[in-house]
Amino acid sequence: MQLKYVFTETRIGLQRNVSMTIAVVVTIFISLTLVGMGLLLNAQADKTEKYWGSRLQITVYLCNDANIKKEHCTSGEADQAQKSAIEDVLKSHPEVDTYDFRTKDEAFAIFKRVYITDDKDSTISSVVTADDMQESYRVTLKNPRNYLEVESALKGMDGVEAVEDLRTVLQPIYNAITWMKWGAISIAAFLLMAAILQVGNTIRLAAFARRKEIGIMRLVGASTLYISLPFLLETLAAAAIAIVLSGATIGAVMQFVIRDRLRHNFQVTDWIGWADLGQALGAISVLGVVITLIPTLVMTRKYLKV
Amino acid sequence: MIRFENVSTTYPGQNRAALSNVNVDVEKGEFVFLVGASGSGKSTFLRLVIREARPNDGRVYVAGKEINRMASWKVPALRRKIGTVFQDFRLLPNKTVAENVAFALQVIGKPRSHIAAVVPETLELVGLEGKGDRMPDELSGGEQQRVAIARAFVNRPMILIADEPTGNLDPTTSVGIMKLLDRINRTGTTVVMATHDAGIVDQMRKRVIELSDGTVVRDQSRGVYGFQH
Repeated sequence: MQLKYVFTETRIGLQRNVSMTIAVVVTIFISLTLVGMGLLLNAQADKTEKYWGSRLQITVYLCNDANIKKEHCTSGEADQAQKSAIEDVLKSHPEVDTYDFRTKDEAFAIFKRVYITDDKDSTISSVVTADDMQESYRVTLKNPRNYLEVESALKGMDGVEAVEDLRTVLQPIYNAITWMKWGAISIAAFLLMAAILQVGNTIRLAAFARRKEIGIMRLVGASTLYISLPFLLETLAAAAIAIVLSGATIGAVMQFVIRDRLRHNFQVTDWIGWADLGQALGAISVLGVVITLIPTLVMTRKYLKV
Repeated sequence: MIRFENVSTTYPGQNRAALSNVNVDVEKGEFVFLVGASGSGKSTFLRLVIREARPNDGRVYVAGKEINRMASWKVPALRRKIGTVFQDFRLLPNKTVAENVAFALQVIGKPRSHIAAVVPETLELVGLEGKGDRMPDELSGGEQQRVAIARAFVNRPMILIADEPTGNLDPTTSVGIMKLLDRINRTGTTVVMATHDAGIVDQMRKRVIELSDGTVVRDQSRGVYGFQH
């Protein structure tokens, strides 16, 4: 097979349709970038879930005199009988791994450490005393996913003011990540559709521009592969450029946003790493090739049939 | 070389058959004129030979193979055995004469050395020696048709199909083209030519197959254009 003709035709085709080629490259580039971002967000959500999942504790706050008006705190400070009832539940519940008790003094020590960082704040410590703190149980679960079972067993017991877990804090973050992920993927889906149609249009225009050559090639017995190869290479070249561009964009986001900034400033989770980036790049490369190959093969079959 | 057995075909959306129950047998090395009014089925006949179309009924054999049942990936190999020439030449305007002829060999993957040897030889055969570097629009109609014939013949096909090759040419030029086709025929190539040109058919005294409304109404070995009993 003489490949000189094939490569010449590919080059001419790319030049002849410069504006079409740019349109195809840009569309594929942006849609692949969005898909890549979606994949990274997905990986980040998984990582965050795992990170917090293994640390997820339930905190059972006991009543004190300050919240006497709450439903289960009518008797004021939780008494020993109420505490043993709670401990009985914690001991017997199948989902509870370990628990420990935090006294008012321990809670006050933590309060001071967290909220009183300089002298200005020291006035707070003169107002707030250890007695204002709540006693609590810190419960570690066997399977953090089943936190609701434990919570519901404890909620509503006398002497329990509130049951909290970090999930209430983390849920908005999860929600935001999920929204961004699906937002990126659905915009990408539309753009991918546009990309597929654009590739199809490019092939149709190119086939029309070369109809004379194609007609002669068919008559003299050139193989279908030989006839369609320039078209295939033309769209694959556009796809390759788009894949490189979106790979570079995603890599830059990874380096400059996640590694240089977020990872240093927000050590609240495990951040995604190069392995996740590698997977995302692999996925967009395959996707980029597939979304150009499919319309090219369909259109060349339609327009270049022998 | 070419055999039609009870071949009938109708184009989609048309009631009238383009060919109906055609039986024709063309031997190797024959020269055959296909005559008849426009729409009589001449072009359909030629399209069936190169498998541009398939019959609804009957069988078409070319070079011993039943081509209407041939797998489509084998069609390019069939077409390499057949050269095709049209009324409108179909040259590539941005390529020189030699490049136009070479194109037919390049796209079927012939080695460069072979192309370099055989293209000038073929141009000489068709009477265009020294004009390989010209562009098609610098040539006369007759010369352009010679380029088209060179392109069809450069791969030394077993069959040459010509659909009204003199249709755009004046009578004198047409005679030259007919002499060329005759010379090609003498090399052993089977030639099937569809034409309206009565003068040429009468002069050549070759086999004439006349089609009318898709049926063969005459098949005469040394025939003329008009009907003779």
